[in-house]
Amino acid sequence: MKSLYKFSTITAMTALLVGTGYSCKNSLDVNPQGEITEAQIISDPNVASNLVTGIYNIFFAGDAFGNDVRGFQFTVLGDIASDDADKGSTASDYGDANTIDQLTANGNNGVVNNIWKGYYQAIARANQALSQLQNAQFDATVKNRLIGEARFLRAMFYFNLVRIFGGVPLLDRVPAASEANSPQFQTRATAEDIYKFVIADLTFAAENLPVIANNSADVGRASKGAAQALLSKVYLYNKDYTNAYAMSDAVIKSNNYSLLADYTLLFRQVSNNSKESIFEIQAGQNLACNAAIDRFTVAQGPRAGGKNGWVDRGYGFNNPSQSLVNEFEAGDVRKNATIITINPSNGANSVGTVLYDGFRIPTQDSVQNQRYNYKAYYSRQAEPNCGNFDRLPKHVMVIRYAEVLLIHAEAALQTGQGGIAQSDINQLRTRAKVPTIGIPTLQQIWHERRVELAMEQDRFFDLVRQDAVQPGRAAAAFAADGKTWNANRALFPIPQQQIDLSGGLLKPNPSN
Amino acid sequence: MKRIFTRIVFLALLFLSSFALAQNGTITGKVIDATDKQPLPGVTVKLSGSATGTQTDAQGNYTISAPANGTLTFSYIGYANQDVTINNRTTIDVNLAASNKSLEQVVVIGYGTQRKRDVTGSIGNVSGAELTKQPVQTPTQALQGKVAGVQVLGSGQPNAQPQLRIRGTGSVLGGANPLYVVDGVLTDDIRNINNNDIVSIDVLKDASAAIYGVRGANGVVIITTRKGKNGPPVIRYDANAGFRELSNRVQMANRDQYINYLRDASPNDVARDVAPLTTPGTTDWYDAVLRKGLQMSHNLSLAGGSEKTTYFFSANAFTDDGLIKTNSFDRYSFRSNIDVKITDNLTFGTQMSLTRSNERPVPLSGVYSNVYRAAPIIPAQDENGRYGNTSIWGNLGNPLLSLNKTNNQTINNRVQGNVYLEYKPIKSLTLRTALNADAYWNKQRNYNAKFAADGNIFTVAGGQQFSNFSTLFIQNDQSFWTVWDNTATWQQSFGQHNLTVLGGFTQEYIKTDLFSGSRRDVPEDPDLWYLNTGNPDVGAVYANSGTLFRRLSYLGRINYSYAGKYLFNTSFRADGSSRFSKKYGYFSTFGAGWVISQEDFLRDSKVISNLKLRGSWGQLGNDNIAQGLFITTVQPNLPYFYNNSLTLGSAIQDIKDPNLKWEKTTQFDFGIEYGFLNNKLTGEIDYYNKKVVDALTNVTLPAILGDPDALFVTNAASYRNSGVEFAIKWSDKIGKLNYTIGGNINYNKNEVVGLNGGQALLGGSIGNQGNITRTDNGQPIASYYVLQQTGIFQNQQQIDAAPSYNLGGYGKSIGGMVYADVSGPAGVPDGVVDSYDRVYAGSYQPKYYGGFNIGLDYENWDLSADFYGNWGNQIYNGRKAFRANALDNIQADYANNRWTPTNASNTDPRTIPQNMPASTYFVESGAFLRLNNLTLGYTFPAEMLKRIKINKIRVFAASQNFFTAKRYSGFTPELIPADVISSGVDLNGYPTTRTFTFGLNVEF
Repeated sequence: MKSLYKFSTITAMTALLVGTGYSCKNSLDVNPQGEITEAQIISDPNVASNLVTGIYNIFFAGDAFGNDVRGFQFTVLGDIASDDADKGSTASDYGDANTIDQLTANGNNGVVNNIWKGYYQAIARANQALSQLQNAQFDATVKNRLIGEARFLRAMFYFNLVRIFGGVPLLDRVPAASEANSPQFQTRATAEDIYKFVIADLTFAAENLPVIANNSADVGRASKGAAQALLSKVYLYNKDYTNAYAMSDAVIKSNNYSLLADYTLLFRQVSNNSKESIFEIQAGQNLACNAAIDRFTVAQGPRAGGKNGWVDRGYGFNNPSQSLVNEFEAGDVRKNATIITINPSNGANSVGTVLYDGFRIPTQDSVQNQRYNYKAYYSRQAEPNCGNFDRLPKHVMVIRYAEVLLIHAEAALQTGQGGIAQSDINQLRTRAKVPTIGIPTLQQIWHERRVELAMEQDRFFDLVRQDAVQPGRAAAAFAADGKTWNANRALFPIPQQQIDLSGGLLKPNPSN
Repeated sequence: MKRIFTRIVFLALLFLSSFALAQNGTITGKVIDATDKQPLPGVTVKLSGSATGTQTDAQGNYTISAPANGTLTFSYIGYANQDVTINNRTTIDVNLAASNKSLEQVVVIGYGTQRKRDVTGSIGNVSGAELTKQPVQTPTQALQGKVAGVQVLGSGQPNAQPQLRIRGTGSVLGGANPLYVVDGVLTDDIRNINNNDIVSIDVLKDASAAIYGVRGANGVVIITTRKGKNGPPVIRYDANAGFRELSNRVQMANRDQYINYLRDASPNDVARDVAPLTTPGTTDWYDAVLRKGLQMSHNLSLAGGSEKTTYFFSANAFTDDGLIKTNSFDRYSFRSNIDVKITDNLTFGTQMSLTRSNERPVPLSGVYSNVYRAAPIIPAQDENGRYGNTSIWGNLGNPLLSLNKTNNQTINNRVQGNVYLEYKPIKSLTLRTALNADAYWNKQRNYNAKFAADGNIFTVAGGQQFSNFSTLFIQNDQSFWTVWDNTATWQQSFGQHNLTVLGGFTQEYIKTDLFSGSRRDVPEDPDLWYLNTGNPDVGAVYANSGTLFRRLSYLGRINYSYAGKYLFNTSFRADGSSRFSKKYGYFSTFGAGWVISQEDFLRDSKVISNLKLRGSWGQLGNDNIAQGLFITTVQPNLPYFYNNSLTLGSAIQDIKDPNLKWEKTTQFDFGIEYGFLNNKLTGEIDYYNKKVVDALTNVTLPAILGDPDALFVTNAASYRNSGVEFAIKWSDKIGKLNYTIGGNINYNKNEVVGLNGGQALLGGSIGNQGNITRTDNGQPIASYYVLQQTGIFQNQQQIDAAPSYNLGGYGKSIGGMVYADVSGPAGVPDGVVDSYDRVYAGSYQPKYYGGFNIGLDYENWDLSADFYGNWGNQIYNGRKAFRANALDNIQADYANNRWTPTNASNTDPRTIPQNMPASTYFVESGAFLRLNNLTLGYTFPAEMLKRIKINKIRVFAASQNFFTAKRYSGFTPELIPADVISSGVDLNGYPTTRTFTFGLNVEF
């Protein structure tokens, strides 16, 4: 009897305790603190436009030498790998860039992996924005414009990927993590498929984006002109000269752009978003002082060496090559606007090299390298900054009117309109203060292209393109720069880490 | 009156009778604990073969009348009996040794205690006295080598929490560390606990930890702090002071060795070796940056009580300055443990600790790795205080300058403890409610001074080491963690049947909040290190974030035993956690035991004093990940500019797993506990098999998914740890020498048995070498996956005959590495050495680990030595492999051994260029044996102290890490991994230290 009493006491107590606990069951549904969930923003009317701005922000991606879209590592591929530039800095610094310069990089190279990661992060942002835009309920014009911006950016990302790696996995939406290893996403699409996709995106963008004047509040956003200009370049890469001509012609005929009179001012802060600019990466100052591309300018800044003894301006990478110096005609104003040349010591009379802002670089015996990229220079005394030298607010040009003229000229020549090519090229030559020429040859257009766009991260890809038009171009150009060309090097190696992560579904390039 | 009369008569008779038997004398003495030298009150002192007996008083003193040729027997619960022949002495002091594996010993099993002999699980136990012998900050450091199956990874860094691995590494992301329970408070961080306050540490190694359900998978370490005892106040003062110095220094190349190396590795740079950038001598950067660090501890405690109330108070000051200049750490802790019997069946109590620590940390990854890398030809600092410009030479910051221009401070305040109420409505039932709380308020302050790369700072101006503006970063970080435990325990015997039933529920609530701000241009005066003095308009950044997390759990346990021979127990726990989308998990365990030595046929055995078979099976969980990992979130406030005006965007980019759930561990354990020859020889043997499924894993995602860090948390792996633990101890005495020899060894096999989706986990990233560890099926966690080095090319013929290399620019050269061509894209050697030729080359998971201990006690002297070691694991020498710059310094042993035309080495390459791929060359043995602690103590004779009214004075000298025998060429084979899948990759570890201390224990 007594133990029965005890037993009921225990049962009662236990029931009481359990009951108290049970009432709190719902408290286990806890939202993340201070983080906005996807579910919470769906109802926000600004979500779509915010997500589109978020795509542009990817240009600032990554910490030092991390994921990269148009930062210094893109420069390694576009300039250093080409005959325009040498790796620079000290011989031992940045081995990954060195193997790319020497055309010996393989899949373990960090630069290609960071570029791959940066671009797919960018594509994911674009796809995320597009998927939210699909569901968004608002004015069709605004909606199509935002979709157009996202598709323009996505096309630009894929265009760079296909130029760097050839065919790559094609993602037109955000896959779930469970699909990460599905063959659909891991297998490389063909370069043709990527180009088709890029053309479709850009065509949509060209049709739906507005014309943006260079004093508009929308400067910096993708515009109709930007889509047409990029599309003309894409057609050029596909040897579709008719369409390349048509698109570049549309940009010219829009009369929204023109050449800046003084080439030497093109890459200075005063010429940000000039009338020559068609699409350029923006930067500026915010309170956190991080709203710019990481290390684009400091990596290319002049570096102390030898006797040292001065406060230098950077790491000294990406030095214009002797081959590039040789390419300039006498009197071409573009040479000194492109290249900072370090002067040798002249005893007591040495003045060193004085830059446009008055900054004096000492003579060669105190400087690491002989030449630096003037187009990447950002003045710490004459141009505004908020103190973060790793992220100086340098705008980076993606496509400008001069390039449209070059595309126009090349497409015109290839479609038998030599006179048009002549007028395009002579506009550039006149500005550069070199004599005008008659109907140009393809070689002359390519020469003009090289000197006009030197050190703007385009040369390597353009050389590979030229080689496809006229086999032997690349071998000759690299030989003039003291490098040995091998057709396997037309595409950069697929990152080994990504191949490993795909379980081998991702197939390597010949350069791997 | 009558009673008094009886006593007098009794005494008189006693007196007469003893007189008649022999010449009886009065014997006095003191009984103390052999280990901690504490007096033992209540010890029974008996004259053998008679009814005469007495007990020791509160100070452990006794007086007994006995014949000069008699024998006294001293007995006390939990201690081994001791017979002492009187041999005409009148003073007999006795050291009573705790019979460590004694049958009566009580162990803590979570929400209750149990006699060791009734336990069916595998539980290790270490007494507080053993822990306090070691002058270390955290009690777990002192556990090293003491408990079979417990691996302790320590570090010489002040305020670093040692990492524990109980029965192998069973989790990669969910944390491989056990749960700590301090007086009922669940925590992951026990750096606030004063070792002197600890009465015992119990380690639940097997499925018995399932009572902690989702927290128990990695084992549970239960820490119990001291309480007062009924008796007069006892005051203790314990102190030690000493210094720490670098142990196992790695000698770096001197100027000549370095320059010779550069002639091969970077010949163009040799010409740059000119003053004033370089110095004609050799700079020893370790000398420049390291020093001997002070270590000191003072502890004062007061304990005592009455029948109704017992109390224990303590205060401790601990200092550990560390080895690296500017580093320092001070901790002050206070404790108050009080128990009050309100009525006969109602008890109230509280255990509270308050800790404040003040640390000046040093940035290891930036500064300390530069000490290794810095060239020996660059001066550290000249006589004018100007620094050598290392960034001009080799693109790294001068570590001494970095230290001097950085002033970081971390202040932690922490309150941890509980209040409880215990009610016994009837004798067999205990109802208990306890509110446990753990709260901290931390403040971090980092100040970086402004300095230019000019001639005032450097011997030569220029380079990349400068700071345009000073920055001040302040962070306030607070956390409040409560656990409310409610349990009912019913304990009843029915004849030979004993039954204990436990039921209850617990609720947990954890809230953290972090606020930080940063400003520039803050003046260098420490009095002005507040954000207000900085620039509000440029570079001012504020951030605020937090977490909220809840758990709700129900638990139950039944322990049943019959006649003390047949044991059975089962427990169950249902855990709800807000960390997962599927909230609830259910965990149960079953255990059984058979105490063979209690059977009639063994009960009277002279040889076998204890023999028990036991087994347990159970399931446990692990939810040790961040909150909200299954909910997709948005990253707001991403800046961009339209027409130069700032616009904020957002992005959805972190990939989340909406189906995130527990990782589940199933553990089987079978054990034998034995004691022979009156328990002089005791020990345990255990076999275990522990399998983790659905292990939470940071899976590296293919970059195509666009996750910024390409990491994704999901249940993606299964691991198994299986092994055998063996512990043995022999305690005896030879004349006046009491001695104990004990040891334990654990064999563990760690293996990945399943990866969902088959994706191997990659970790251990080293510069250009990429990820060097791979966690894949059939291999131990974080196995090195690298090329196989087979030799060094000695001549051109060998190069011509070798397979071609496709290794990111690393080609074949004389004096260069020979790698084996073991495979290719088709799975067979293809004549090309490339990434297909990587092989598994071991891991940091030890096959064997353990320790042995020796304790000697001779009259007033005591000596103890604790050894610890592990075997059968490997280390990846990441410092040597990671050439951040070709001009980084090299180790002297490599400089001496490397291939040169006059030194035809077949192991060490001529140079280690930056593009040298990862290979077995950098994999080294991780085996080591260390004399963890060596202590020599002297206790002053009690008679001498009586006059000054002091119970006890003991002085001691101790050395921590007196020596380490190792084969690894780096600083230390003990590496605390940044994350589990990077285990064993040595990059920036704080150097291990050797400590010498002198100490004092006084008791009033």
